[in-house]
Amino acid sequence: MRSIAVAFAVARKDLTAEWRTRELVPALAQFVVLALVIANFGFQFDSRNAPAIAPGVLWMTLVFAGLVAFGRAFAAEREQSSLEAMLLTPASPAAIFAGKALAAGLLLVICEAVLLPALGLFFNVPVTFDVVSAVLLATVGMAVLGCLFAAMVARVRARELLLPLLTLPLWIPFIVIGGQAVLGAMGASGAGTDQATGLLIDLDILFVVLTSLTARFVLDE
Amino acid sequence: MSTVVATGLTQRFGSEVALESVDLVIDGGEHLAVLGENGAGKTTLLRMLATAARPTSGSLEIFGLNALVERRRLRSRIGFVAHAPGLYPALSAAENLQFFCTLQGVAHARVAEVLDLVGLGDLARRPAARLSRGAQQRLAIGRAVLHDPKLLVLDEPDASLDSGAGDLLAQVMKGRTAVIATHDHALANRLCQRTLELRRGRVFGVPTRLRVVH
Repeated sequence: MRSIAVAFAVARKDLTAEWRTRELVPALAQFVVLALVIANFGFQFDSRNAPAIAPGVLWMTLVFAGLVAFGRAFAAEREQSSLEAMLLTPASPAAIFAGKALAAGLLLVICEAVLLPALGLFFNVPVTFDVVSAVLLATVGMAVLGCLFAAMVARVRARELLLPLLTLPLWIPFIVIGGQAVLGAMGASGAGTDQATGLLIDLDILFVVLTSLTARFVLDE
Repeated sequence: MSTVVATGLTQRFGSEVALESVDLVIDGGEHLAVLGENGAGKTTLLRMLATAARPTSGSLEIFGLNALVERRRLRSRIGFVAHAPGLYPALSAAENLQFFCTLQGVAHARVAEVLDLVGLGDLARRPAARLSRGAQQRLAIGRAVLHDPKLLVLDEPDASLDSGAGDLLAQVMKGRTAVIATHDHALANRLCQRTLELRRGRVFGVPTRLRVVH
C-alpha cells in the first residue's frame, strides 16, 4: 500500500511541476504538429496509400516525442539534485521509479491526444478505438523502458546521445507490433489488429515486471 | 551505545584517494564537527554516514546495523542535509515537505510543525524557486528532520544561512546524534562536543574533545 502511495505522490509531484512550469508538454505538442506538417508535405499520399503511410509517421513522431519526455524525467531531478533526497528516504526505489514512469507516460499521452486527432486531420485516416488502444498500450512499455534508461544515463554527460542508443533497440518490438495494429485499424490489408494488440499486452507485462525488478539497482547506486 | 562505528573507511575515485582509512566512533547524542579545507574529504565522509555513498573499503555500522547492507532500514533514522538543497522549485515550501512526508511515511500534519521550527511558517505557500538561498537551506534542514531522525548529518548547513544559523542548528541538533561539516570553527565550538579534522582524506591529529557532554 505504501509503495502505491509513494508512486502516486511521485507522479503527482511531477505532473504538478509540469502543470506549473509548462516546460515539456507545450513544446512536445508543437513538435508533434510540426512533424505532421512536414510529413504532410514530404510524402506524396492520396486516399489509397494514406493508411499505409500514416502509421509510419505516427510511430516516428511518437518515438522522438517519447525520447524527449522520458529523457527529461530524470534529467530534471539530477539538475535539481533532488533525486538523491528522494532516494535517501525509506521509500522503495521501485515505487519511485513507477511514479516517474507513470508521470512521463501520462505526459506522452497528453501529446498523443494532440497527435492522433491531428494525424486523422492531416492524413484523412480513421482514428478508431483500436488505433488509440494500440498507441496507449505501446506507451506503457515505451514509458517503463524509456524511464529505466533515462535513470541509467541521467548522471552521464552525454545522456542525450546515450538515451536513444540504449532505448531505441528495445522499443523496436513496440514500433513493429504497434505499427501492425495501427495499420490494421486504419484499414491497410494484411495486418491482424487483435493479434498485435495481444502481443502488445504481453510485451507490456514483460517489461513492466523486468523494469520493476531492475529499477532498484539502477536508482539505488 | 555508539551510534556510528566506522573502521578503515576509504574512498577512491580512480587513482584519486578522497578518504583514507578513517576510523570513527560517535556516541549516542554526541555532536561531532568535521573540519578541513576544501577537498579534504568532509563531504565524502558525510555522504557515507548518510548512506548516500558506499566506501571502496572499510566497514560502517550505524545503530548497530551494517550501513553497507541495511541502507534502506537505516534511512528512516538518518536525516541528511547535502551541499545542494535539492528542492522542487515549482512546488511550495509546504508541498515540498508534504511530498517527503509521503516518502518517509510521516503524517502531513508534521509539515506545519517543521516549517515553524525552521522559521518558514509565513512562507509555506511560496514556491521554493522564489525563496532566498537561505530560506531554501532552512527548508532543506526542515526536510532532514521531518521524520524525526536519530542521526543528523549536515554538510555545511551554515553556508547560506544568516546570523540565526547557530540557533536554528542548535535547535534541530538537540536530542540527536549529529555530524556537521563546517569551515566555521566558532560554530563548531558552539554546537559540538568534539571535532575531527581531515586533511587530504586522512584524519589529522587526534579528534579533539571540546567540552564535556551534558
